[in-house]
Amino acid sequence: MVDLALVVLSLTDWLENPAYVLGVPLVVLGVIGLLFVLAPAEITWSLPPGPAADAARARMDAAWAPTDIAAHEGHPSPSQYIAIGLILGVVTAAEVAVYYVDALEGALLGILMVLSAMKFILVAAWFMHLRFDNRLFSILFTSGVVLAVLLFIVVLSTLGASLA
Amino acid sequence: MQHAPAAELQTTTGMDHRKLLMWLFLGSECLFFGSLIATYLLYRNKTEEIGIGPIPSDLYDIPFTSVSSFVLLMSSVTMVLALAAIQRGDRRGTQAWLLATALLGMSFLAGQAFEFTEFYRQGLSLDTNLFGTTFYVLTGFHGAHVSIGVLILLSLFVMTLRGRLTPANSINVELIGLYWHFVDVVWIVIFTLIYLVQT
Repeated sequence: MVDLALVVLSLTDWLENPAYVLGVPLVVLGVIGLLFVLAPAEITWSLPPGPAADAARARMDAAWAPTDIAAHEGHPSPSQYIAIGLILGVVTAAEVAVYYVDALEGALLGILMVLSAMKFILVAAWFMHLRFDNRLFSILFTSGVVLAVLLFIVVLSTLGASLA
Repeated sequence: MQHAPAAELQTTTGMDHRKLLMWLFLGSECLFFGSLIATYLLYRNKTEEIGIGPIPSDLYDIPFTSVSSFVLLMSSVTMVLALAAIQRGDRRGTQAWLLATALLGMSFLAGQAFEFTEFYRQGLSLDTNLFGTTFYVLTGFHGAHVSIGVLILLSLFVMTLRGRLTPANSINVELIGLYWHFVDVVWIVIFTLIYLVQT
């Protein structure tokens, strides 16, 4: 038998935590999004029936005719993107696993830096298309990264701090 | 008004200037987050020396943050799939992946709100010690970037419903995609340097 007072008390306690008040609706939205992705229905902006709606629908269909922009720009295929996503997931799992292995404590910093750099490069090169786009984009971004690393080194060494 | 695809643009540089500016902006953002991370690393050690309030090892929940990191990483995959979908003229795919990206971003934000609340309950506020100040400022700014990204993604999703986003202006998805992936790579660095590498 469920004690109603206990339920009310736990609900009050639950409402006091803003993490749950904010987090639970977001998770519910996530589930709705998942259902939407998996559902066979197509959602479009509703228009009142009539010739204007038919014309709008025809314009929409014409605008969404199959194109080959991705192939034209030399971008990877969706299956390649998914494969890279899986690699990123595995590398993240490896990072967390390494963190818990006591025997690797001495080499932890080096291993984590290498794995993190791998993830960084994979996302920048493949998902951000630096591998395929104009080299100027790579130069602009790499300049920012190099300056940030230099900033790190200067600040940490000058003020006597370190990563380890 | 619809724009021509990037490849067809005739500009003085031969490339889309909006994309050029986005890369310039992301380059400057590297320095912004670089300085915040450097400040955190500098003062984290100082906090442990002084001994006021909780320190990172007292608070961090690595399994929880690992899941959050994984969620954000997967949102990068859905983002790039949204771009691939609009570039091949797949309206339903574009809508689905844009929404999935926004919702994964919102899940990440929910995780961050939970983490902040838990830390506060355990005694770490913005002014408890230098660790608290630098931690909340760094991760808070990152969360603000994710929030802005989520709002733009939801706007793009509504634009696809209203017929105002089509393959002809797929550059808009590409630009927000660059921003979103940047937010992801920043988190890759934060997760490693702030959470996993502890003194």
